[in-house]
Amino acid sequence: MANTVKSSPSKRLISKIIILVVVLVIGAIAAAQFWQLRHFKEEVVVSDALTDVKWFSDYVPSLKGTWLDTPVFFFDSGVEGGTVFINGGPHPYEPASTMAAYLMMENIEVTKGKVIICPRSNYSGSTEGMLGDAYPMYFHVESEWGTSKFRIGDRYTHPLDQWPDPFVYVNYPSGQSQAYQDIRNLNRTYPGREDGTPTERAAYAVLEIIRQENVDLAIDMHEAEILYPVTSTYVAPATVLDREHFEETGEMVYVEPERNSLDVAMMAGMNLSGQFLMKSEASPSSLHGLSHREWADWSDAMTILMETPEIFIDKITGPRTEALMTEGKDEFLQKVTDAGLTYFPYDMEFGTPMWYRTGRHLTGALETLTWASMFYPDIAVEATWPTFLEMQELENQGIDSVGYFLKNPDDPANADNVYVIYKEPVGENMLKWSE
Amino acid sequence: MVFLQNLVQIIYYVMAGLIALSLVKSFFKRKKNDNWVYDIMYAYCIIPFLLRVLHIK
Repeated sequence: MANTVKSSPSKRLISKIIILVVVLVIGAIAAAQFWQLRHFKEEVVVSDALTDVKWFSDYVPSLKGTWLDTPVFFFDSGVEGGTVFINGGPHPYEPASTMAAYLMMENIEVTKGKVIICPRSNYSGSTEGMLGDAYPMYFHVESEWGTSKFRIGDRYTHPLDQWPDPFVYVNYPSGQSQAYQDIRNLNRTYPGREDGTPTERAAYAVLEIIRQENVDLAIDMHEAEILYPVTSTYVAPATVLDREHFEETGEMVYVEPERNSLDVAMMAGMNLSGQFLMKSEASPSSLHGLSHREWADWSDAMTILMETPEIFIDKITGPRTEALMTEGKDEFLQKVTDAGLTYFPYDMEFGTPMWYRTGRHLTGALETLTWASMFYPDIAVEATWPTFLEMQELENQGIDSVGYFLKNPDDPANADNVYVIYKEPVGENMLKWSE
Repeated sequence: MVFLQNLVQIIYYVMAGLIALSLVKSFFKRKKNDNWVYDIMYAYCIIPFLLRVLHIK
C-alpha cells in the first residue's frame, strides 16, 4: 500500500488560493479583451447627403437601451422617386456587408428618391467573437491618413443579450422548426414579433422600417462559404405570400408579386458577368425566417439578398488569421476547388480579398437599383457610391481601395459628420422581454 | 409565451447558479481527487460563470 504524504490544511488552503488567484488573473486578461470587443466603437464619417438618423427602437420601443438597438441612416434626395433599404451586418461575421454599408454611407450621393442604410442590423452579434472558434476579433484597413479597425463579430446575437436557446427553434408565424441556435440568428427570425425574443424584436424592427418607410426595394447584404451552394448569388422571391388569404384561413398560399425582384436580380446578375460571377436563385417558399422570403411576404417591398464568397467562414481552412479574412488565401480550399467541390471558381493566387467582396456588394446593390428603376420607373432611385471597377483600378495601382474611400474621423474638417456606431445600453437586457 | 420564456430563463439562471456554487464548494472542499491538478481544473471551470455574472462573456 502506497504511503501518501498529506500537506497540512493551512498549506492546502494557501495553495488553493494561489491557484485561484493565478486562474483569476488569466481570466481577467481574457475578460479585458472580451470587454473591449463588446464596447469597441466604430466611427463613420457620414456623407453630407444624410438627412435623418433613426434607431430600431423608434420602430420597436422595447429595444431602447438594449444591445439590439442600432442606428439607421436616411439619405433623402428630396426628389420624388422610390425608396431603397440596404441592410448591412445581419451576420456580423460576414464583415464585407458592414464594410460596404460604411462605404456607401461615407460616399453616397442621392439625386432621386431615398436610400436608407442600416450598417449593423445585429449590433449585439457584432460585439462578441465566434464561440468555440479561435479567430481574430478585429480586422484593419489601411488608408493614406492611418489605420481603421473594425470588429469581425459572430453570426448570432450575443448570448449575454438572449439566453438560453431552446432545444428546437420554431419560426413565427410559419411554425417551421429550425436549428436551436437560429433563435439568435437575425436572418432566421423574420418577420419577427414585437413582443418576442430580442432577436425577433430586431427582425420586427427591420420589417417595420420597410413597412413604415414605404420601402420599394430592400437589399440584404451577406457573405457565404464557397462550399455553400448559395455563394456569389442574388436570392429573390419569384412568388410571395397571399397575406389576405393567410389572415383569413391561416393557410400559406403563394402568388405572383406585383413587382418581381427575381427579374431584377437576374438582369443585374447577367449584366455583372463582365465584372464578376453573380448567380441568381429563386427564394424557396418553404424555407422561412430569411429576409428574401419574409420581407417580401410581410411587406410590399421587392427583396433581394446578395452573397459574396467569404472563405474565412469555410470550415476546412488553415488557421483563421486576420490575413485569411482580409486576403482570403488558403491552400486547403484551393485543393477542394481543384477537386470540383466548391461553388465558386476559387483561385488562391487572387484569394477573396476584402476589397473584392466589398466592391461586389457596392456594385451589386447599384446594379439592382438600376434594373429596378428600368423595370418600374415609378420607384426609380438614383444614387452613387464607389464601385467594384473603381476599386479594382485602385488595387491595380497598389492602393488599398477600401481605405481609399474611408474618410478620416479625426480630421477636423469631418468633425460634424462623424457618427459613432455605438450606444451605451442601459442595464440588463435579458429580463426586459416582457416590457 | 413571453411569460414562459422568462420562466425558462429564470430556471436556467438558477440551475447555472447552483452548478457554479457546487464548483466553488468542490474547489475548496471535496472527498475525491484531492490533488492540486484538480484545484486548477475547478478554478478554471469557475471562470465562465464569473464572466457571465460580471456580464462580460
